[in-house]
Amino acid sequence: MFGVGTKGKVLFQQQWQGSLSEYVTAVAWSPDGLLAASSAAGEVVLWQDGNLLNLLPAGLASIDCLAFSADGKFLAAGGQNGQVRVWEVLSNNLVEDRANLIVTLDNAAKWIDKLSWHPTCNQLAFSLGRYVQIWDANIQTVITTLPFANSSVLDLAWQPNGTNIAIAGDGGIKVWSTQDWDDDPYLIEMPSASIVTAWSGDSKYIASGNLDNTITVLEYGSSHPWVMRGFPGKISNLTWSQPLLNNTPLLAASSVEGIAVWKKAVKDEDGWNANILTVHDGRIKALEFHPRSLLLASAADDGWLVLWTTAKQVGQILEGARDGFACLAWDQEGKQLAAGGQDGELIIWSESKRGKGFG
Amino acid sequence: MVATTNNTVPVTVLTGYLGAGKTTLLNRILTHEHGKKVAVIVNEFGEVGIDNQLVIDADEEIFEMNNGCICCTVRGDLIRIISNLMKRRHKFDHLVIETTGLADPAPVIQTFFVDEDMKDKIALDAVVTVVDAKHIQQHWDADEAQEQIAFADVILLNKTDLVSPEELADLESKIQGMNKMAKIYRTQNSELSMDALLGVQAFDLDRALEIDPEFLNEDAHEHDETVKSFAIVESGELDGQKLNNWLSNLLQTKGVDIFRMKGILNIAGEDERFVFQGVHMLLDGKPDRPWKKGETRKNELVFIGRNLDEAQLREDFKQCLV
Repeated sequence: MFGVGTKGKVLFQQQWQGSLSEYVTAVAWSPDGLLAASSAAGEVVLWQDGNLLNLLPAGLASIDCLAFSADGKFLAAGGQNGQVRVWEVLSNNLVEDRANLIVTLDNAAKWIDKLSWHPTCNQLAFSLGRYVQIWDANIQTVITTLPFANSSVLDLAWQPNGTNIAIAGDGGIKVWSTQDWDDDPYLIEMPSASIVTAWSGDSKYIASGNLDNTITVLEYGSSHPWVMRGFPGKISNLTWSQPLLNNTPLLAASSVEGIAVWKKAVKDEDGWNANILTVHDGRIKALEFHPRSLLLASAADDGWLVLWTTAKQVGQILEGARDGFACLAWDQEGKQLAAGGQDGELIIWSESKRGKGFG
Repeated sequence: MVATTNNTVPVTVLTGYLGAGKTTLLNRILTHEHGKKVAVIVNEFGEVGIDNQLVIDADEEIFEMNNGCICCTVRGDLIRIISNLMKRRHKFDHLVIETTGLADPAPVIQTFFVDEDMKDKIALDAVVTVVDAKHIQQHWDADEAQEQIAFADVILLNKTDLVSPEELADLESKIQGMNKMAKIYRTQNSELSMDALLGVQAFDLDRALEIDPEFLNEDAHEHDETVKSFAIVESGELDGQKLNNWLSNLLQTKGVDIFRMKGILNIAGEDERFVFQGVHMLLDGKPDRPWKKGETRKNELVFIGRNLDEAQLREDFKQCLV
């Protein structure tokens, strides 16, 4: 199970641990090393160099999603009271002076489950029932409302080159062009609901994890998707790696307790081949490729955060969440890793000097 | 807060036509001092405004299911909402899902049968259907009205003050013909003791078949309804292989018309009773306790469905006996 020579190897070591009052729902890094975290109690905190700042205290409603804009100048958070809050991130040294709430968008009784910033300009997309709204930070106004229509929005993802935004839900994925919001979306049809979607870093492929235990992968623009089957349950997470030598990235997906890592065959018609990673003894809650290498991190209900060397074998197992992990995030360089626990744990690990050369 | 030993949350699915008294019942559940913290998922169609108001007053949490039409979108949305709720598991002891007046409750029930996350976290407690004793007469032709009755474990025959005793007796007998498994309560203003509503454990296989013996002994009535229920009682042992073939074929060909089924079976070579239940084509079964000494080993099955050929099903079942 543990690859020869890797057992006991320290790739990452714990740098800091703190806690929020409940289930940590999301963690996110800014490009300059600030960490934000939210909890089911409604807290939003900022972390910098071991200091924690409370941006929102525990309240009545859970905060479920948060993200920094690509330039790190804004932080947005949304949750079950229907509010989307945006803070301006200031370039001060002290964490106490680093954020300034600039707007609160009220959306009545709707839950805000998903939000994401455009990869280059400061436009924020957030789910709003069956719609997605795009809010522009420069003019501080909602510039469009995209009707997904079929069902509630289950996931959304900007194409990394900024050209399109994909919105997932029942019936598949609808892709809107950022050039013309009024244009009809392109529909990637599926027989069930798409519950999670991710673009590859080169913007070439889009993957959809579906409720009927399948994954659909499309080379965007082609009309012939690949469909991967054989999963024991619905697809809970999808993540693309950096491109390999042949320019195609790996696609990792989790379903129940297992992970499948898909590698594209040289010829299109040969499809994708899977390698199955099993070590978890609980549902996988988060799965994310290292931003610079093939190191894959998976965090699960079993209280293990596993680092898979070259997305193949267990490199290191990190612990610290008594009731299981809930979420994780790599910082932009991949030198730090943050994870949130189901009992409110917030843990940061940093790259070990001894662990050089992984991935 | 200390975690409960059994970490699954019981779920009550509340159905009934618009105006039947669902909202009144929901508000009773939310305001009643039963010591349970109840989370509610309501539908955006219907009387949500009033609910929200009352619920906030009652200091309960209310959650909105962003889904008007009950169709295949239900599963994705329900899973999304419940997964979110479960992050605050300690905040509630019981979950109530109110479906729309026009809804077929099957997709909601099926979600708890098929989804691997839901199966572990959620235990279906019961389907509770509120029937308007006066206005149901206008809805008999609607499939939804019949399905809501057919799927129910608990039926509130509500607004009994608006109909004559004779009408009520007729209605109750008609409903019994459609669904003999359900417990029927005659109510006014949806007044019913909480014990009869919450914690019923109607889907718990361990208590599976507390089928009313009277029902099993009852002579078959002639009903003109397309939706009906009936029981099969047979002594003797079943051939496991034959049974398997019959059941899988039955669910494939008639699954759409079988709303619910339950059974205790005596399988040849097994010391334990085999218990099962089904919703449409989904089946959930397991060996139960051993047959007791001196206990008569027999097979009891109950079907509720539409256009079911009772004689054929009885005959086919007999063919499975050793």
